[in-house]
Amino acid sequence: MSSDVRFTDFKSDKQPTWCPGCGDFGTMNGMMKGLAETGNDPDNTFVVAGIGCSGKIGTYMHSYALHGVHGRALPVGTGVKMARPDIEVMVAGGDGDGYSIGAGHFVHAVRRNVDMSYVVMDNRIYGLTKGQASPTSRSDFETSTTPEGPKQPPVNPLALALASGASFIAQSFASDALRHQEIIEEAIEHDGFGFVNVFSPCVTFNDVDTYDYFRDSLVDLQEEGHDPNDYEAAKEVILDSDKEYQGVMYQDDESVPYHEQHGVTEDMSEIPDGAPEDAMDLVREFY
Amino acid sequence: MAEDLNWAVGGEAGDGIDSTGKIFAQALSRAGRHVFTSKDFASRIRGGYTAYKIRTSVEDVQSVVDRLDILVALTQRTIDENLDELHDGSAVIYDGERSWEAEIPDEVEAVDVPLKSIAEDAGGAIMRNIVALGAACEITGFDVEYLDEALEKRFGGKGSKIVENNKEAARLGQEYVQEHYDLDHLGYNVETTDNDYVLLNGDEAIGMGAIAAGCRFYAGYPITPATNVMEYLTGRIEDYGGHVVQAEDELSAINMALGGARAGARSMTATSGPGIDLMTETFGLIATSETPLVIVDVMRSGPSTGMPTKQEQGDLNMTLYGGHGEIPRFVVAPTTIAECFWKTVEAFNYAEKYQTPVYVVSDLALAVTEQTFEPDVFDMDDVEIDRGKLVDDDEVDEWLDAQGRFRAHAVTDDGISPRAKPGTVDGAHMSTGLEHDELGRRTEEEDERVQQVDKRYRKVETAQNEEDWDYREFGDEDADNLVISWGSNEGALIEALDYLEDDGVDVRVISVPYIFPRPDLSDEIEAAEETIVVECNATGQFADVIEHDALTRVKRINKYTGVRFKADELAEQIVDQLSEEVPAQ
Repeated sequence: MSSDVRFTDFKSDKQPTWCPGCGDFGTMNGMMKGLAETGNDPDNTFVVAGIGCSGKIGTYMHSYALHGVHGRALPVGTGVKMARPDIEVMVAGGDGDGYSIGAGHFVHAVRRNVDMSYVVMDNRIYGLTKGQASPTSRSDFETSTTPEGPKQPPVNPLALALASGASFIAQSFASDALRHQEIIEEAIEHDGFGFVNVFSPCVTFNDVDTYDYFRDSLVDLQEEGHDPNDYEAAKEVILDSDKEYQGVMYQDDESVPYHEQHGVTEDMSEIPDGAPEDAMDLVREFY
Repeated sequence: MAEDLNWAVGGEAGDGIDSTGKIFAQALSRAGRHVFTSKDFASRIRGGYTAYKIRTSVEDVQSVVDRLDILVALTQRTIDENLDELHDGSAVIYDGERSWEAEIPDEVEAVDVPLKSIAEDAGGAIMRNIVALGAACEITGFDVEYLDEALEKRFGGKGSKIVENNKEAARLGQEYVQEHYDLDHLGYNVETTDNDYVLLNGDEAIGMGAIAAGCRFYAGYPITPATNVMEYLTGRIEDYGGHVVQAEDELSAINMALGGARAGARSMTATSGPGIDLMTETFGLIATSETPLVIVDVMRSGPSTGMPTKQEQGDLNMTLYGGHGEIPRFVVAPTTIAECFWKTVEAFNYAEKYQTPVYVVSDLALAVTEQTFEPDVFDMDDVEIDRGKLVDDDEVDEWLDAQGRFRAHAVTDDGISPRAKPGTVDGAHMSTGLEHDELGRRTEEEDERVQQVDKRYRKVETAQNEEDWDYREFGDEDADNLVISWGSNEGALIEALDYLEDDGVDVRVISVPYIFPRPDLSDEIEAAEETIVVECNATGQFADVIEHDALTRVKRINKYTGVRFKADELAEQIVDQLSEEVPAQ
């Protein structure tokens, strides 16, 4: 990891096909800057992406990367981190990918406290399939599949994370570049599962959760003096459905990541040329 | 076969049937005898008939037979279920003090031992099965000291008092039979030898093979009958720097394993039919992203939840064709417990050499059966590891394009691209399930699509030419009658040869451990007058591929009762089939 790594080193030469003005541009820039700023380089970084607009990110970034199947990015990230504790792992996904099809994996990755950062581009809509309701869509949000709104409350991913025993919960806004990058950096540096829900507006299909809406309504927790180590205070802001917050809501400073709890420290990709030296012990056990 | 001893313990699930059987099997193995075990069990924790059967001999034994010499019966149902197998030299050990009135056939020796009371005298009712083992030792003339060794192995971790109590229970059981019965006329005299055998089942052999082959990361989800692979690896793989994750479901398990593999570690998951269904979407991603991964399918009766605790070989088509689109893959199928070890080792080499997913297809009969082997059958010095085109920092250069980008999916003559694991300088690249160019980036260009599809299939061609897709052969190689088998039927077939020989029927047996790629058996089928394919499924899935390969019709023996083939039964069916007309062309 050389100190002269620039964020552009994390950029591939492929031009994004996101719609002009898509929040994912800002989200990705913050991820690349955050990775560079925390001393990582592309050869020691693994980015896992899911399916959907957010899933394209692996193509536009430069690092070791896998663009997987819908909803399963977190298990892939878990496998990478367990096999290679020496590698920085970042998982990117969308609200459909993470909170609908992948909701089960989300809960378990959170409770395992795998040492990786998870960035969810939450635009409260299915963009790539052209505008259906997502798990974070408002209950009255009219879409092609929900002409009268979903008529069910949206998933609160922050509360889901808190209930699952998260050690780091944050929320940012793609358009507030500096704060977004700061929050991503904190997630990367956190020893454990660094979860960031990013408001990443869809300019094509969501005319409710827009840049203007977030700009006008967003409350910055750190400006408000919120202490992320205060669990009760975190619970209060996470369960407050009247306001939109950005900042680090909760962080457990005592967090011990999964691989350390399980004593996994070795690079598992290095193996001997033949069976391990003491492999006959395995046979003798069956005497 | 006269020196065979066939022993069983049966009762309700939860009666400790499994551990009782295992202890006796270990004692026999310690005594230098060959052991082959089988289990009847139901898919429930408590209640329901369950039995553990042991066939033991000083000669090698590879299958079960329809005969029972000594039966420890904890319930009447145990006797009823095995009536056909009891004969006029059999003995049934039971506890007459218990609430059930044993109905035992007249020609069978009823050996009434107050198992529970004796166990209580020795320290606890829980040891009643051990009392029965002591009684069995007395009836069979088997030196109880070997039982002591097995009890030490089993209970050593629980302290010397427990071990001593169990030894005492066995001794009291032995003495009770000595004092109350004279069973010399049954003529059992279990010989011992100086041989040191190891005793293990197919799931354990797969787990051991994985560690030997350098597997360090395993993710799985519990499912019968594959769970034992995970249980074996947990607690052992750590000693070699590895780790097991019990995932939240099969979807997660295979994706975790995929992550481990992309990180450069030899990784594996194991499941059974229903789990394979769930994993199939990711299976396509693994093949398209050219990730080396070993996926074990321990088959059970399907479809759907089917009969989870019963034998079947019904997933061949699933592993061979499963998944949308066209997916290059390797499918290997161990034919014996020892092969479970060696085919797993091979699978890891194929996976990394050809950068493909490799299915290891085992079945319940292999998974839950324990068998004795000479330890050097698992000689670790013979384990070879080939990591394929894994490039290091110095080798990356030759695979960079003009812009310095790593061509992870480079189109090559042999279809195999270079592989760089994370941390390799300048090797950073992206992989995806989308169709992609040489750099791994999405493409829908017609030429690039065709190049990548061809490239992925060219790996299979390369492997077909480079590797030895051989088969195992038994019986008379010049015989006119050819029997082809895959999976766990091999042992029963080998023993069926003895019965067939008695009937004057010459048979050549070919046992095929490779489903894809597989040996071309056209010449062998051409040379034979009759060809029969034996398998545990209803439709003859392997027979179908054999017919396809050889462009001819074959006869079939199919069993799908949920129970594995027995040697005598197979011999009979082979004779029947040989007298049948050849099916229409």
